[in-house]
Amino acid sequence: MIQFISHFTEQHTYLDSIRLALEGGIKWVQLRMKEASEEEFLSVGTEVRRLCNQYGATFIIDDHVELVHKLKADGVHLGKNDMPIIEARRILGNNVIIGGTANTFEDIASHYQATANYIGCGPFRFTTTKKGLSPTLGLEGYRSIMQKVKEAAIDIPVVAIGGITAEDIPGIMQTGISGIALSGAILRAENPIEEINRILKYE
Amino acid sequence: MNINVNNKTITTDAANLSALAQELSLPEKGVAVAIENKMVPRTLWEQTPLEEGTSVVIIKAACGG
Repeated sequence: MIQFISHFTEQHTYLDSIRLALEGGIKWVQLRMKEASEEEFLSVGTEVRRLCNQYGATFIIDDHVELVHKLKADGVHLGKNDMPIIEARRILGNNVIIGGTANTFEDIASHYQATANYIGCGPFRFTTTKKGLSPTLGLEGYRSIMQKVKEAAIDIPVVAIGGITAEDIPGIMQTGISGIALSGAILRAENPIEEINRILKYE
Repeated sequence: MNINVNNKTITTDAANLSALAQELSLPEKGVAVAIENKMVPRTLWEQTPLEEGTSVVIIKAACGG
């Protein structure tokens, strides 16, 4: 289960990146545009919503709780410095998927309590895509966190994130993790569509 | 038969994903489902069969914690 998180490079805009992911067969995308204005976010988001309808994909937006209904997004992802999940739930109601970022088992447990619907857990390794990273987890970190999740009978999908490449996926999926979030690995590939095909084969 | 939903074993008679969605009262909106780690769009639920031991991941709003 792969979530693609939008990203841009010299060759590709945010929207290009999402279009590539959907063309490649990814069914779950997150629009993340950290430094964009609300206007830009709305304009790109409207187009992403249209593309996701066309491809039958799930559409999550990063951070912008106030734009979820406007964009008819399926959900919102909240990072460590974004609005608390419990508050977003109060505003958005029960029909919206809310994802939360976690670095430890304690983060996962508290997001679960706060009614999160999935967790992005990481970083797997050091990455240049995101600033202000928490300590890296590696395979051992995931194994230990997922063991605790299981023992606590917390039934929430946990997606690994942070510096993951196609080759890492089989190992990570062995740890009890439910899916993988990717961004940089796809766009940095020489041929992003081929890279997506490789990734979807590994998942 | 027994299937695996979000790493928990459940017993169901649902023959396909669409029937399972009904059984679990999944909402019309705000839900994403993966079978054996592959996301399945809602339009394909009806034609996606479930078998003993199938692993299902459901990301849904409305019943988080």
